[in-house]
Amino acid sequence: MSKYRIMVVDDEKIVGDMAKMSLEQEGYAVETFLNAEPALSRLKEEKFDVVVTDYKMKGIDGMEVLRTVKKLYPETKVIMITAFANLDTAIEALRGDVHDFFPKPVKIKELKASIQRALSK
Amino acid sequence: MKIEHKIILSNVFNVALIVLIGLFAFQNLNLMLTKLRFVEIADDLNASFLEMRLSEKNFFLYKDEAALFDIREKIDKTVESIGLVKNDVVRAVGEKNFELLNLHLKSYSDVVEEMRKSANRNLQMEAKLRTEGKKLKEFSENITHLERTGVNDIISNSKRILFYSFWAIFLSAIVVSHFISQKILRSLREIENLAMSISEGNFRKIEGIILNDELGAVIKAINFMSEELRNREEQIIQSKKLASLGVLTAGVAHELTNPLNNISMIAQTYTELYDKLNREERIEFMNKVEGETERIKEIVRNLLDFSKPKEANLKKTNINEIISKTLNLVQNMIDISNIETRLNLKDGLPPLFIDEHQIQQVLVNLITNAVQAMSGGGVLFISSRDGSSSGFVEVTVMDTGKGIPPEFLPHIFDPFFSTKGVGGTGLGLSVSYGIIKKHKGDIRVESKVGVGTTFTIELPVYKEEK
Repeated sequence: MSKYRIMVVDDEKIVGDMAKMSLEQEGYAVETFLNAEPALSRLKEEKFDVVVTDYKMKGIDGMEVLRTVKKLYPETKVIMITAFANLDTAIEALRGDVHDFFPKPVKIKELKASIQRALSK
Repeated sequence: MKIEHKIILSNVFNVALIVLIGLFAFQNLNLMLTKLRFVEIADDLNASFLEMRLSEKNFFLYKDEAALFDIREKIDKTVESIGLVKNDVVRAVGEKNFELLNLHLKSYSDVVEEMRKSANRNLQMEAKLRTEGKKLKEFSENITHLERTGVNDIISNSKRILFYSFWAIFLSAIVVSHFISQKILRSLREIENLAMSISEGNFRKIEGIILNDELGAVIKAINFMSEELRNREEQIIQSKKLASLGVLTAGVAHELTNPLNNISMIAQTYTELYDKLNREERIEFMNKVEGETERIKEIVRNLLDFSKPKEANLKKTNINEIISKTLNLVQNMIDISNIETRLNLKDGLPPLFIDEHQIQQVLVNLITNAVQAMSGGGVLFISSRDGSSSGFVEVTVMDTGKGIPPEFLPHIFDPFFSTKGVGGTGLGLSVSYGIIKKHKGDIRVESKVGVGTTFTIELPVYKEEK
């Protein structure tokens, strides 16, 4: 069985680095991007099973990433993480059919559990 | 003395003058009436005397004895009639003339009586009769003439005095009202100027001697207001800053969340992978934590800088050095924004009397605004030169950005006014304005939509005596 492919998009480099290190321990193939444009181009080339994206980014934001992913691959799960945790962003994300929503600081164990749930569906 | 009192005093003076003139005119009229009454009496007397002289002539011509009797009768009648109007006559010609008149009448009457009773009439007696009659008539004509002249004198005197007093009242009214209105206008002009300069944010005072009148009270009140405004301005800026801290806190919380999240994720990953990491990797993890704490420190320091009120620490400073230092601070921001910087700093500018850090803060604000206005890249011009007014040096920060719409220009130095939407606190330019004003300098803006914006600050040159 080939590895599950996970994409992490966050303009904080450490988020991508740490997520990659930790998720690779679980046997996932992880690719990280500092902003949305190259991430979306990469998505057009290849399908990912789970996309973890920051909500607020310069240029294209997390909501736009969510919409694009859902348009390209409706079965791909999107997990949103944000420093701007409030009800409005959560509701907006849920309407866009987000799989999960994490406020920063992120608990990596919870993120991993969420990814497992996403993949087991 | 209060203006109200001055006006009342001048009015009282004028009214008193008018009353005096009125009394004088009344007095003159009375005198004139008396004199005229006398002239009337005198005319009657003269008519009687003329009749006496006629009878006298009849006597001499026709030796008519009855004529003498007529004269006697007329003299008696005259004495009786002037006795009746004695008061009027005395008032007009005086007691002495009245007595003289009676005396003349008496001696004329005596001569007539003597003539009547004497059988032996000689030429000497006749001459005496003529002389007395003539004397009486001449006396009467004299005083009549005198009184007519008197009446004329009174009229021309009254005319002259009324004429002069009219001008006196007129001039006093004009001079006093001119003096008072000039004084009021001068003070009002000063108050107007002060109000204008207060509205421009320059809380000065009216200097010089302040009189103890209504205008003095207004000037004192305005001076007090100006001083209060100056005291409050600081407090207002400070309290507005504190109020905006609430808004700022939300932004700061977000900014802190990212490094916090990073530290948290580093720690979680470090724990998870501890056994698999070699020494160098572990040190690298901790260095990353250190880097993130630096980020947090910087955010907190900026927040403290913003909330702390700072007194300007004025020192002799070279402005070109400050511009260069500031550029070093913001160079990174300029570079990543695809902006070209062109400097035109004049050599040999005089040193300024400024607070280096505060002016740096102003320059950072202006440069940050310029960079943000040129999101698509552009050219940032920074220049220094001698000021348009002597004793000042001018620094301009010019961009080729989107410009500020003319309707926003009057508000850009207002606290919380921002054209940047959620991105700006609206405090950068307001704080810059406060700093430049505290330096007794000036900050101006010119802008054209689609062309760019130029900020010019003028700062005072260092003077030895400071």
